[in-house]
Amino acid sequence: MQVKTFKGGTHPPEKKELAKDVPIEYHLSPKQVVIHLNQHTGAPNQPLVKVGDTVTRGQKIASSDGKLMIPHHASICGVVKKIEPRPQANLQDGVAIVIEADGRTEEAFLPPLDPFSCTKAEAIERIKEAGIVGMGGAGFPTWMKLSPPPTKPIDVVIANGAECEPYLTIDYRTLKEQAPAVVYGLGVCLQILGVKRGIIAIEDNKIDLLPTLQEAVARFLSGPGAGKGFDIQVSVLKTKYPQGGEKMLITALTGREVPSGGLPMDVGTVVQNVGTLKAISEAFLQGKPLIDRGFTATGSACKTPRNLVVPIGTVLSDLIPSVIQIEEDLRRVIFGGPMMGVSVPTLDTPIQKNTSGVVFMDSKEALVYEEGNCIRCGRCMQACSCRLSPALLNEAILANDWDLADKLGLLDCIECGTCSYVCPAHVYLVQRFRVGKLTLRAVKAAKSKKGGN
Amino acid sequence: MADKPRLLLSSSPSIYTGMNVQRLMLYVIIALLPTTFYGVYLYGLPALTTILVSVGSSVFFEVVFRKLTHAKQNYKDLSAIVTGLLLALILPPSTPWWMTVLGALASIVVAKEFFGGLGYNPFNPALVGRAILLMSFPAALTTWHKPFQAIADATTTATPLNILKLGGTLKDVAQSLGVAAPADVYLTLFLGNRSGCIGESSILLILIGGIFLLATGTIKIITPLSMILTAFVFSLLLGMDPLFQVLSGGLVFGAVFMATDYVSTPLTPKGKILFGVGAGIITMLIRKFGGFPEGTSYGILIMNAFTPYLNTLVTKKYGYISGRNNP
Repeated sequence: MQVKTFKGGTHPPEKKELAKDVPIEYHLSPKQVVIHLNQHTGAPNQPLVKVGDTVTRGQKIASSDGKLMIPHHASICGVVKKIEPRPQANLQDGVAIVIEADGRTEEAFLPPLDPFSCTKAEAIERIKEAGIVGMGGAGFPTWMKLSPPPTKPIDVVIANGAECEPYLTIDYRTLKEQAPAVVYGLGVCLQILGVKRGIIAIEDNKIDLLPTLQEAVARFLSGPGAGKGFDIQVSVLKTKYPQGGEKMLITALTGREVPSGGLPMDVGTVVQNVGTLKAISEAFLQGKPLIDRGFTATGSACKTPRNLVVPIGTVLSDLIPSVIQIEEDLRRVIFGGPMMGVSVPTLDTPIQKNTSGVVFMDSKEALVYEEGNCIRCGRCMQACSCRLSPALLNEAILANDWDLADKLGLLDCIECGTCSYVCPAHVYLVQRFRVGKLTLRAVKAAKSKKGGN
Repeated sequence: MADKPRLLLSSSPSIYTGMNVQRLMLYVIIALLPTTFYGVYLYGLPALTTILVSVGSSVFFEVVFRKLTHAKQNYKDLSAIVTGLLLALILPPSTPWWMTVLGALASIVVAKEFFGGLGYNPFNPALVGRAILLMSFPAALTTWHKPFQAIADATTTATPLNILKLGGTLKDVAQSLGVAAPADVYLTLFLGNRSGCIGESSILLILIGGIFLLATGTIKIITPLSMILTAFVFSLLLGMDPLFQVLSGGLVFGAVFMATDYVSTPLTPKGKILFGVGAGIITMLIRKFGGFPEGTSYGILIMNAFTPYLNTLVTKKYGYISGRNNP
């Protein structure tokens, strides 16, 4: 089989062997959950419950009437104890609904719905009502991705199982253990978008999944997906970071490049993480909203690397030490992977809808470097996944030359962190670009305002 | 958990390659060792003295300058050692020690620290040091000795390039190198038993160093290749013997160790190619029409000045293909 890829990128040590062979464990009865009102890209939510209310697993507890609306649901049965700011994985410490378990095991799910016989609007409404967001990390509302304007016809849907972040194995385990659910979810997306072609993409370090996936596809095409003319292929990509980035994935599989400032739908593609697809299939088959999620708990300071499914809002410290045991020498906790994940200051941070992993690092691994001078070695230029020139961008930002930074494509940076990873002088490249993008947007806004007067 | 050290917070990524500046500089030093030892073998104590004085005074000047300007000490990155070693290897073995010290002063203080230190120097520091010495002391910097002769009592000689510059033929070069047939000149030049700067003579050992740098991913082959190929083709066009031109002088040394200097050469692939082309052409123009028999240093230094422009020739960015780009 031909192994596809993109230009640039890097190959950090995978470290996936830690948790790769540990089957997913379910820990669905935490003593409390902390559900943040906003754990997604889009309109801010309002609580639908008040302190003292009794809630049931699956009940909608937060929503908004904004355009990018995504509701959140109670992930356990219990009583609302508090609605207050709590530590959050994005370091913003937003307002959260704290639910204390009361021991009931009821479920308030939606009725099951057949995605292949209901209308397109009903199907999209279901995905919206189920509160599904992209589970790969960005947390973009899934129903939005499935509602492209008519001017942007879609011809391929990609199931993203690349999982290019080191350490993380939850997508691998999901594909290995629940391939039929993922394929079903992909079929739902094809149905909603009226597209025939689907691709399940994995990196070649997960090539052992190939027979499992092909069998699941064959079963789906002769079962629920029969007679629709679906064409679902499994594609193997080179193991390389950031292969699972939407843009890189699309380019590797189709040769198309998402235009600057555009979205995958601009090149006729929709990309969904495999965890999201599994959540979609559950939303239809069981009527279950997105209330549980899988993540990988791993790292050099984790004595028990494993893949877990927990109710969303489960606080990390509540899993320690009964489920996750950590070393004394813990120095860094990352929500997400080590390349793009966020280091959090406290173990009291809850798992949210977009938490794909928690990496615990010991003092040997958790390193911070003082920034050195750029020696212009050009490693970042070769590694940049967007073919930008990080060394030159860095210079432009340091010189406050925002026109040059704009010209060099600062806003095209996807913040994958490859430049900083490869830099021998430990220049704060991606870190400076993150801040620089905000500044550049502000500079441009100020300029256009001035021009309008 | 209150008594535990606090968790580290920093913006991602949270992992790094093990590569650092010190290790890259160490690779360059290792790559220079074969030709360094050969230079000492060829020219004996004077070569060794020049190398030690150059390296020692380079580190000294960097430390003192940074102390006086209250800047952070950087000697651990080994870059001053690299500069000092490179400077020594492009000086004649008989250079008086105080001239070498002045050269190191020019390299480290004028070319490097005045501009902000490692990473900020527009021109190759070692080449600046050599250029200033060559302008200040043209006689001493063009005095050459035959290999394996104690310099104190040896007569001076001419480098192969000198002989040609003064109107000599390949036969004269053969005679000077002590080989029988003019055809053997190429092999002798490749192996390096000739007069010249301390580190420039053995093409074989320079290439071994270059291969080490390529294998460790320290340099890219693109600039040396473009420079040497250009020099070859352009010397042919100028009616010179291209093989002789490439094998003599400091062309290969410059292409492998100077045109690949990170700081003073372009970052962009297109820029790297054009840098090599320009340096190759200028070198040959100086050799053919200039006052000095050798032009590699100036070829590279002049192209250093073009580096900021060459850096604007960036690769096409992702997402700028026009149209929907559907297959």
